[in-house]
This record gives sequence, structure tokens and C-alpha cells, in this order.
Amino acid sequence: MNKKTTEKIQISKTAASLYLKNSRFTMQALAEESGIEKEAIFDFFSNRRDVLNFFYEGVMLEYRSSVEAIDNYHSYTLSEKLSNLALTVIELMDPHKEFVRKTYTEYVQCTSRSKEFNTYFIEELESIYRIDSNQSRISQALNNKLLYKAGLTNFHLLIQFWLKDKSAGNQKTMELVDKWTSFVQELHYSSILDRGFDVAKFLYYNSPFRPSKN
Amino acid sequence: MSEKDFPSSKYNRGKIFAKTGIKVGANYAKHYLNSLRGSNEETNSSFYNQTAEDIFSEFTKLRGTALKIAQSLSIDQGLLPDEFSEVMSQAQYSVPPINRSLVRSIIKRELGSYPESLFTSFDQEAIAAASIGQVHRATLPSGEQAAIKIQYPGVRDTIASDLGLAKSLFKRFIKNRGELDEYFEEIETTLRLETDYIHEGQTINRFHQRFDGDRFTTPQWVENHSTERILTMTHLEGEHLKEFLARNPSQDEKDHFGQLMWDFFHEQIRQAGEIHADTHPGNFLFTEDGRLGVIDFGCVKKFPDSFFRNYLLLLPTHLERDIPTITRLYHKLGVLRGDPDSDKKEKAYFEFSLNYGYTFAMPYEEDRFDFGNPEYRDMIRGYTKNAPIGNEARGNKHFLYSTRVHLGLYHFLMKLGARVDTSNSRKIVADAILDLQP
Repeated sequence: MNKKTTEKIQISKTAASLYLKNSRFTMQALAEESGIEKEAIFDFFSNRRDVLNFFYEGVMLEYRSSVEAIDNYHSYTLSEKLSNLALTVIELMDPHKEFVRKTYTEYVQCTSRSKEFNTYFIEELESIYRIDSNQSRISQALNNKLLYKAGLTNFHLLIQFWLKDKSAGNQKTMELVDKWTSFVQELHYSSILDRGFDVAKFLYYNSPFRPSKN
Repeated sequence: MSEKDFPSSKYNRGKIFAKTGIKVGANYAKHYLNSLRGSNEETNSSFYNQTAEDIFSEFTKLRGTALKIAQSLSIDQGLLPDEFSEVMSQAQYSVPPINRSLVRSIIKRELGSYPESLFTSFDQEAIAAASIGQVHRATLPSGEQAAIKIQYPGVRDTIASDLGLAKSLFKRFIKNRGELDEYFEEIETTLRLETDYIHEGQTINRFHQRFDGDRFTTPQWVENHSTERILTMTHLEGEHLKEFLARNPSQDEKDHFGQLMWDFFHEQIRQAGEIHADTHPGNFLFTEDGRLGVIDFGCVKKFPDSFFRNYLLLLPTHLERDIPTITRLYHKLGVLRGDPDSDKKEKAYFEFSLNYGYTFAMPYEEDRFDFGNPEYRDMIRGYTKNAPIGNEARGNKHFLYSTRVHLGLYHFLMKLGARVDTSNSRKIVADAILDLQP
């Protein structure tokens, strides 16, 4: 991440805290709170809405740079990569849980106010699935936009679970991520669908019930 | 019984007792399995149509904490048949490791940063898995080698539900349900304490204070890298029993480490303080400079004086074959519930326990004892294998852990094949008895 992005993320986080005190805070107040000149903020953002929208985009940017810091990330399995994605994003949001509670549905889930978050998230899922060669044939064939969108929807549900999670250190959310991603991995790595497809194909071509051509 | 009923050599005497013990045990095991299959009139009706296998497979659905329950109940207590413990030790039973992302997240949540910024190096692959956590190697910023135990998320919550499930299974074939509750309460309390890593850290420090020195070595707690769910301690370098035996060590080496094991155990009795209650080969290390390393202090016990005194008294009374006192002790310790002279079942319990007790006391009879003696090994194995004497929970709840320590020690020494100098041990036990309040 370059300095500009880091600064933008910092401003959006300050804005997220400010939002909780006053959802209609002024850019002047943001400048005072963050210790950055108002003009400098306006170089990055055109208005308050813009700053707040960037909060979620910033989370994804931070996530991306955190992945680069992990040793051996390429050797992670599908479930490990997926849990890393879910857990890191939640950890980054955690200090601003109240802000997320108030805005996630409106900004991310139901509208495209923070469409970059959704876009980046889907891109990330795509890169995770595309590289993974352990998937069954059928599963690889199903690696498409629909799958990634389903993944994003799952994540939205996970966020709702996390927002309601009162266990110490979000343990329940961690458990859910662990169980869910293991299940997803099992689905994608399992060859049961391949076998099923083989049977179906065989029957399709060899079934005695198939009307003969001549 | 008079003195002339016994063969002259003490060793032979023990052997004969052991044989009768095995016979009694085997008969009860047969009876037990018959009643499981429903060919016995006394059969519990809800259990009638269910084979033992069904129960076992049901039990294997429990993970993690179930392993601990198994360790506590079936294997040492002989409360359950052999098949049960076999199922328990199968590979499918071990808990899958936490995935690497989760490890990172747990560390971040507990210690505030990711491992790469907390440690100079951190090994992502676990070096050991336990039933409630896994262990990773790392280098501390100070350059010191450390072992980091990470608790599986949510373990504490599953203890209660796992135990509840296990209890309902056990209740189908254990008759005296009231006592079972007591056992389970004891296990639950112990397990809960095991999930508190701060408690374990403090215990590590206490043991370090007590034992770390010329002969024994124990890790130190790294408090600033520890929380309730993450335990960081200095790493001990050394060989585990298995690795040690794999390189064909000399008898002298075996005797040396066997002696240390034996002395560690008796030093704990002498001090009458907390006792390391998880005598599992994985928890002991042989260091290059000839010391015994003790690790894993999740399960330590401080027995109540009254129980501990009666338990220790079993030794001199068995050595002296003091039947009347032994009988009184068995009553106090809950091994007997009636008069063995008039009640057939009580008699069987009495004989089994007496023979087991004699065999257990054998190492104390002479000044030197060879745990590598295959005959002795077979005798002890015979008891643990055939121990299920009826589907009844018996004995003081503290037996759960006292036998685990004791039996664990014997099994360890037998595997090691060590010859041990036991000349001081009788006196240590006798002195400890004097120090304890009756």
C-alpha cells in the first residue's frame, strides 16, 4: 500500500468513529479529529459520503496487503484461504463493529454504495478458486461468477452472525468460519460429484430406455 | 488366612495372586459382555437390543473432550471393556489440527498482533496435538525457544455438552448412576481447569520452583505472551520415550532415566503438594545432560489429606498383608460396599483389588526392582485388560486421577525396561503418611 492509500484508510477509520457520535459530521470536524488539513482531505474525497464509503474498500485493501505478509500463503488449502479471507476482514472491521452494525446492510449488502468492497471480495474469491488445483473436475467447471456471488452472500450472512456474536473474542464466529470453510472445501475437493456425473453420462448413452436412433 | 498358605518367595506369591486376579477379571469380563448381548436376565432393558459396537460407534461421535473422558474413565479405571479403549485410541479419534488461518487469527485476537510481528520465528505447522489444543514452536524476541499451546476455539463450551452426551451413554450400562454423577463432576471440574491456560501458567511456575535443578527440568511460563487460551512457555529440548528407545540405549541409560521418573513421583509424595496427574509418555523428556524434563501441567491434582492418607496407607498394609486393615481401608475408599464374607459380589471385588494391590506393591518389597521383567509386565497388563468387574462405578472419585498417575508411572517404567532402586521409597511413603492428618 502506498502512503496515499494508508492515509485515506486512516481518514475513513476516523470518519467511522466520528459517524457514531454524529452521523452528519462536517468535513471540518473530520479534519480536526484526524489532524489532517481539510484541503488535503478534499484532495482524496469529495464529500462525507465518499469518505464513509471508502471505509469498506479500505478494509479490502488492508486485507490484500496483509496476505502478502503471510509466509507460504500459496501452500494454504482452499479452506485455509477462505478462512483467512473471512477472518482477516472481520478482524479489520472489529475495532469499528458499531459502525459496521449501523452501516453494513445499507452500504454493502443491499446497495452498491461501497461497490468496490463487493468487487474486490469477488475478485479475491475468484483468485482463490482459480489457483486451486485440488478441486474435482465438476467443481472446477463450476468456478464462475455465480459461485463467487454465492460466496459473497455467504459472507454477508457471516457478518450478520458476527454482529450478533457475544462470545469472548468472537469465538463463535471463528468456529463458524472454521466449520463452514471446511465444509466448502470438502464439497469442492470431493470427487463424489465427478463420480455422479460419470454414472449419469454412462446411463445417458447406454440406457436401455433410450429410444434407439434407427 | 495363615502364613503357610502362601508360597515362600514373595515374588511367586504375587504371581499367584495375579493369576487369580486375572481369572476373576476374565470371568467378570465374560459376564459383562454376556449382559451386553442380552443373554443375561439382569440385563437393563433399554440396553437389550443394542450391541456393544453400537455404543462404541456412538461414542466416537464425540471428539476432543471425549478423549479426555476416555482417558479418565475407561482405560485406567477398568470401568469399561477393552474394546472401548481400543476404539478410543484409533486414529479417527484424534482431533484434526486447527487450520493455519485460524491459528493466526486466534493469536491476533488473544495477543493483539499476528505471529510474524510477535515472534522472531513461528512454525505454522503444529508439532503436537492435544485434545483441547495444539502446540507450535516459535522463537521469542529474546532469542529463546518457546512452545506455544493454542486452544481450539469453543472448547470450553463443548465440555459440558460432550460430558452430558457421554454420561447418557454410560448410564445405559452402568448401574449405580449416583456415583457416576460424582465421577463426571470430578472430570468436568478438572477439564474446565485444564482450559484455563493462565492457571496452567501459574502451575508451570510453581513446578519450576519446586523441581527445576540438577536432576529434573521443567519449562518456564512466558507470561507476557500468554492468555487464558494461549500458553507460551520455554521449550525443552530432549527425547521422548519412543525416540529414546528407538536408538537402543544401554541398560545403564534406561536405569538412569527410570530412576529419575521413580524419584520424581516419590519426591511429589514427599512434598505432599500438587501432583502432576497426567503421566503420559508424551509429557516426559530425557535431556542430553541426563535430566528428566517434565512438561504439560494442565492436569495437576492436590488430593484431600484424608483420601491421600488412606490411599498411601494401601502400600504398607499390602506389604504387610494386613487383611483386616486393608478391608477397613477398602471400605473407607469406597471399593467395598458390603461384607466380602457374606456377599459373593463383594468377595469378587475384594479379591480382585487385593491381588491387584499386592502386585502393585511388589516393586517396594525389595530394594531393587526390575520393571523390565516380562512376567511382571504381563501381570499388570492382565489386570488392566481384564479389569471390568461388573458394570458398576466403584471407588472414591479421587481414584480417577491417583490411579492414572500410579499406573502411568508403572507403564512408563515397564516400557522403558528400567531397574529402579526403591530402597528409600517405603520410608518416603511412611513419612508422608505420618505428616498427613487422619
